[in-house]
Parts: sequence; structure tokens; C-alpha cells
Amino acid sequence: MASKHTFDAIVVGGGPSGSAAALTMARAGLKTILIERGRFVGAKNFFGGVMYTHALADVLPDFWERKPPFERPVTEQGYWMLSPDSVVRIMHKSEHYKQEPAEAHTVLRALFDPWLAEQAVSAGALLITKTTVTHILQDAKGRVIGVRTDRPDGEIFAPIVVIAEGVNNLLTQKLGLIKNDLPPRFVALAVKEYISLPAKDIQARFGLSGPNEGAAIDIFGDATLGLPGTAFLYTDRNGLSIGVGLLLEEFVTHKLRPYEVLARFKNHPVIQPYLEGGKPLEYGAHLIPETGYNRMPKLSAAGVMVVGDAAGMVDAVHREGTNLAMTAGRLAGTTAVAAHQANDFSATFLKQYRQSLEESFVLKDMKQYRRMTDFLDSSPHFMGTYANFLNDAALRYFTAHGIPKRDMEKQIVGLLQERRSFFGIAQDMVKLLRAMRG
Amino acid sequence: MHSVVAIKQVPDTSNVRINPETGTLIREGVPTIINPYDIHAVEMAVRIKEKFGGTVTVISMGPPKAMESLTECVEQGADRAILISDRRFGAADTLATSYVLAHTIEALLKEGPVDLLLFGKQAIDGDTGQVGPGVAARLQVPLLSNAVMIESFDPVARKAVIHRKIEQGVEVIETSLPALLTVEKEIATVKRASLSNVINAARYTPELWTGDLPVPFDPDQIGIKGSPTIVGKAFTPTPRGAGAILSVAEKGLSKTVADALAMIVEASVVTFQNHDGGRP
Repeated sequence: MASKHTFDAIVVGGGPSGSAAALTMARAGLKTILIERGRFVGAKNFFGGVMYTHALADVLPDFWERKPPFERPVTEQGYWMLSPDSVVRIMHKSEHYKQEPAEAHTVLRALFDPWLAEQAVSAGALLITKTTVTHILQDAKGRVIGVRTDRPDGEIFAPIVVIAEGVNNLLTQKLGLIKNDLPPRFVALAVKEYISLPAKDIQARFGLSGPNEGAAIDIFGDATLGLPGTAFLYTDRNGLSIGVGLLLEEFVTHKLRPYEVLARFKNHPVIQPYLEGGKPLEYGAHLIPETGYNRMPKLSAAGVMVVGDAAGMVDAVHREGTNLAMTAGRLAGTTAVAAHQANDFSATFLKQYRQSLEESFVLKDMKQYRRMTDFLDSSPHFMGTYANFLNDAALRYFTAHGIPKRDMEKQIVGLLQERRSFFGIAQDMVKLLRAMRG
Repeated sequence: MHSVVAIKQVPDTSNVRINPETGTLIREGVPTIINPYDIHAVEMAVRIKEKFGGTVTVISMGPPKAMESLTECVEQGADRAILISDRRFGAADTLATSYVLAHTIEALLKEGPVDLLLFGKQAIDGDTGQVGPGVAARLQVPLLSNAVMIESFDPVARKAVIHRKIEQGVEVIETSLPALLTVEKEIATVKRASLSNVINAARYTPELWTGDLPVPFDPDQIGIKGSPTIVGKAFTPTPRGAGAILSVAEKGLSKTVADALAMIVEASVVTFQNHDGGRP
């Protein structure tokens, strides 16, 4: 009774990269199946963050008319440097951000992902949920020819499989596209809460004029106990996304409990007033691959391509990921369409996928910041030292003690040298510059 | 061989919260599921189909969202799904609901014979258990409620032997077909849906029947108009206090028993009457 299920392309995983790939292929007329393991697309997702719309516009030029479930446009963004009792803020607000559609929006992916998958379905892709792909099927020559799911008579065949399985890339590993499991030194664990708060309170606290304005703030220093990582505070429509991300290894080395790190951050005297009266509705954690350019898996082989988090496509410096993922999904989709036209699914042909990624911002940015994880890894003091220094320096600078300003300046320089030798500072700056310049 | 299964989409009561002020269910944000008994009824129908051939039709009266539950039934192996949905059906009690479902089944009977009707024994949101029996009465077919097993099934002789749960144990009944069964979960263990069925379901859109099309329903028998039930009051029962624990070790057996009896009398649970012939 078990009939053979054959498609032109299979996409494993309904996140932004998977849906972008499915959408691109279905629109070009490929018979595409999108397989999601959650009860519905987005069910497994906990993302509350910033999404850049340029990549979405490339996948779906009329996305704005299709009313994506965005939270707020980001009209103010920047950095807060926390010390244990103070903050130095560098924020950017501009009328430029108010054009519609804005270039960045805060998004809850539990709402966004189902919407994007729906766009793929209306383009003709077939979506099945509650189904986990357990194996990638290969022929005698090792070419990928389909997948096996956890359902009875659960095999599906296609000449192209796009793996969009997310950060926990078990299939990518099984296929040997990467040799190792995620190294704890290069994967961040972000813990997050969604705190419900009336829109008018959000607007009053963040100085926003209405629901068409929003703030995205990345926070360094004491938020992560001075360890390499970032915290964040984003305004959603009727709530706040607040969280802390640290390299997994830091949690282990310093015996930190993720929920304690988050609780400590939420209780910081600068942060606490923003959350006052809010009701936490969700708590959760997710891994973010910060493996970087040099530790990416092989991105394609005969009959298969890897996209998104599964391939470590994250730019940790600019906390970008979904735009890299959607772009990769689109490029994998385009490559699959070309492969069908040429009727060539060989490893050589599918190398086009990597080439097009190299030409796009995805691999250009990842290449530029390839040293960043190593930099933070080798300079773990970086965040804490300078954030504290900035706050102490600001305190000196902004208060008058009746001492001559020249002496105040010397004190500030002294504050810095107490923490880090001149040589150390020079070294940090050179390394940071190298990491940023690529 | 044609089985019709009626299902209901219900709030997942394992997740349900109660508004402490109004005492009503907070349905907002509560995930919906297929009524747990109903999915076993679907499974039973699919097993009969697998054994004797034929088709399984699933019907449901409910809001458009109930399409999800019907699609899930197609994943489990149903061939056809019908959502009977119309604003005018809203606020229906069990009388109006049984009318709508019976009328739908009558419409299906015009297309061809129906051999078996399967319902869950009750819905976990209302817990009345009246809709299945109501439909059986309207259609004038034998009703076997709380069925736990189909011992034998003969579509040719049009007979089946059913086990049903009763207070004293299990009753074994032979029935003619068509018959209506309301089922317990034991009737059939729900299997993980096959990939083929899941793919079929992803391609399938349940039929939508309204108050007028394809069959007209009697406007006086549907929705609030067709529902004589009046909910006088809904409240959360006040929790009972903990019972007393008496220690035999402290006061000795006979004193403890005497104390316990005194407490029972005081609580007016039982009263003693002196009557002639009774021992003092």
C-alpha cells in the first residue's frame, strides 16, 4: 500500500531559510515538500529579536502587502554599556528609520515563521508538520536521493534535499558535511523572556511616539557578568523581549545557571524600571551557532545543500542571522531550479550555491568577521573591563569635584591603566580592529 | 462499508485556566485539540476500513478553526471530512447539535448507505455525553454507549458484537447495523499516522457545509434558537478542607472510634435513631 513519494525537492525544516528555499523553488514550478517537525511551523521557535527585511524582500518582493506579523519597526537602536550600577548609552535615532517598510523590525518568530511557510504553501509547496526527518537517503555512489522520516512508510525521494534543520545539525553531521558536533566554545546559549506590557507603557518608557516606533538595544558589560556575550532588550508590540547570550562554554566554566544570569540582568538597577509591572509569559533558551566562517560545514554535496543555522550562518557582531538564512535559502532554491533545468544534481553543479553565497553579503560578512569569535575567545576580559571603565570615566567626567579638569583627565587615564596596561590596551585594539576589518 | 465519525474540537483542558473572578474558562490562547475520545473513534473506523474496505467520513460542527482537527483526522486515515460551520449554529446546546449532526448524516445517507456511526463518549469541555445518544434517537438506530471493544463485525450479515462498559462491569451486546457507538479510549489505540496519510491530508481541504448549502437546515432547530438549555450559573466549586486525622496511639482504639463517631454525627453525615429491638 505504501506508495513511493517523489518530489522535485525536499526541504527539511520550516524556519526562515527552509521556507525561503521552498518558496523560491515552488514559485519556479518545482514540486516541493517542506517538512517540519513541530506541531506547526514556528512551534519550536523562541526567537524574539530584530529581523532585517532586505533578505525577505529578495525572497518575496511584495512582502509588505502580504502583511507579515512584525512587532514594531526599529526606529531607535544602539548599545548600552553596563557597569554594576551605571550605564553609558550610545543610541541612534533617526527620521530615516521611519520610512515604510522599515529596514528592521522586531519580530516574534513563533508568529513570523508560520506566516513565511504559508507564503511558500501559497506558492505551491506542500507543507507537512509533526514529522521529523531522521535520515538522509543516499544511493550507492553517496548521492543524496531523499529522506527518511519518523513515520510509517516514511521515505520521500527527490533529486534535491535542502537541509534547514537549525542549529542542532544532526543530519548535516550524519551526512559527514561536518566532522564534529557543535563546539561549546563557539556556540552561544541565549536565555530569553517575553514580558507582556501594555503598549502605552512601552512607548512611555522607551520614548516612542506610538506603535509604529520601536527600540532595539544590545547591552554589554555587567549584563553578562563581563564575560564575552551580549544581552538584549527589544520592544515588541505589547511586550518586551529581554535576554542574555553567552558562549555555552562560559556557562560551564563559570558554573553559571542560565536563568540566574537572566534574573541578575533583569534586576539590574538600570534595567529593572523598564520591566516594572510586566508579566513574563514565556521563558526559554536557544543555541546560536557562532562557529564562524572557518568552521562552517561543507555547504553542498551531490543532491544536497545546507542553509541557515545548520550551516552556522550567523553574524554575531551585528546579531544578524535570519537575513543570512533567508538569503541562503533563496540562493539554494535558485541553485536547485538551475540544477533541474540542467538536469545535473552533481556535487560540482551544486557548488554554484556556495559561489553565489560568496558573492553575497552572507559569506562576505562572515569572512570579514571570521576572527571575531577567536578574538573574544582570546580576550575574555574585553567586555567587562571597558564597559566598567566607560562608566567610571563618565562619572568622573560628568561630576564636578572642584578639581582642575586636567587632573580629572589624568584620573580617567589612570582608571584605564589600573585595569589594563598600555600594551594590553594596544593589543586589544589591534586585535579588535583585525577582527572587525577581516 | 461506510463509517461516519463525528468529532469535536475542544480546548486542551490540560492547559485550561479559570478566570478567578468570573469562574469561567479562559479560552483565549488555550490550544485546541480533537476531543480525546473522538480520535479513538476515528481510529476504530479506520481499522474497520482497513479490514473490510470502504470509506470513513468525519463530520464536525464548529468554527472554521475546527478545519485543523478535521485535517488531523484525514492524517489518521479518514477519506472525507466535512465541517458544518455557520454563525447561525453558534451557542448550540446538545439538542441543536444533535439535530445538525443527524441532519448531516441523513444527507450522507441520501448519497449511499452508512453502516456505522462512531462518536466519542463525551466531550471534555461539556462532559454531557448527550450528543451521540441524541443523534441515535433522531436517526432511529441502535445506540451502544461507552463501547470499549468491537468483538466481531460482519458487514454482510449486518451484525456486530460490541462490548460496552457499564457500572457493574462489561456488557456484551449483539447489534444490527447500522448502529451508533459512543466510544471509550480503549476501543482502539491511536497509531502514528503514516507518511502517505499525512501527505494526503496536506493536499486535502475539508468540505465546508453551511446552514443552507449543500443541504438546508431548519433555522428553528439550530443555534441558540434550537437550544432550550439555559445555563443558570457557572461556578468553581469551593475546595473542601482537609479531613481530620485521629491517632490511635495517642488515645487508644475505643476512644478514637468514639471520637470519630462523634465527629461524624456532629457533621450531620449520619444520624442515630433509637428504635426498639436495637442493641443499646
